[in-house]
Amino acid sequence: MSAVAGTYFEDIEVGTEEVTPALTLTEAHVAVYRGLTGEPNDDPGAIPDLLPLCLSTGLGSRMARPPLVVLAFMGFEWKIHRTLRVGDTIHSHSRAAVKRSMREGGVFMEDHEIIDQHGEVVQSGRLAFLMAKRTAARLSVPTG
Amino acid sequence: MTGLRRYFEEIEVGEQYESPGRTVTETDIVLFAGLSGDYNVLHTDAEFMKTSIFGERIAHGLLGLAIEDGLFTRATQAYATLAFVGLRWKFRGPIKIGDTIRVRARVRAKRDLSGPDRGLVTVERKVVNQRDEVVQEGETDLMVEKKKA
Repeated sequence: MSAVAGTYFEDIEVGTEEVTPALTLTEAHVAVYRGLTGEPNDDPGAIPDLLPLCLSTGLGSRMARPPLVVLAFMGFEWKIHRTLRVGDTIHSHSRAAVKRSMREGGVFMEDHEIIDQHGEVVQSGRLAFLMAKRTAARLSVPTG
Repeated sequence: MTGLRRYFEEIEVGEQYESPGRTVTETDIVLFAGLSGDYNVLHTDAEFMKTSIFGERIAHGLLGLAIEDGLFTRATQAYATLAFVGLRWKFRGPIKIGDTIRVRARVRAKRDLSGPDRGLVTVERKVVNQRDEVVQEGETDLMVEKKKA
């Protein structure tokens, strides 16, 4: 991973907060997502529940800092507070919550909120990543 | 559709379902990268990934989860779901291009919610590949409508 310019485990400070750019949810997002996943279309104007988090990972990669050097998305806990509609505009707010150093990498957890155009938190939870260290040798841990 | 959906009272703890399989393709990964904007090298740089422990590109974890959610709807008759309330999820191993995944699900718990017309159903779900390895697993909480009295 050393060839990739990025934000490594050592570069993250607990407590750091970030706000992503915003994205307007469209019928095109919904159509592509439903085609890709096979989710049935019960309500044409509703945003599928897992789509905002998928889009949020892309918004996170548009930050000014170099992208996180993630070796594995380990898991997450997530609450969906309200269903979004086509035309809503979302952005994400995250806060570095926990860092746990391991021999070859580090576990990094962030508290993550998806916020709509009214400032209301519509989804939130905690995401756990296995991240590369600048010094790390190649890992032998499987990834998601 | 409403008549065909299963209400809270009709769902039993311990019920198990298995979905059809689905082969995850390069196209799925490319479309998901375009949709999400997540172009991490893990999913998009075949040459770089040749040098990784995986030896090739792997699917986004959330793509696997999103496909899982679609497969779940094909595994059983639809619930009278009012809302997807939340989930707890672990990514256990990679999904590679050409892997065929399916969902095994089991109703783990049911409980009443404060409103008289709804309850919470917790479903345990495992995503397994063609070698029967669990690549993702977790629990989902669904708010399900009760039958009209």
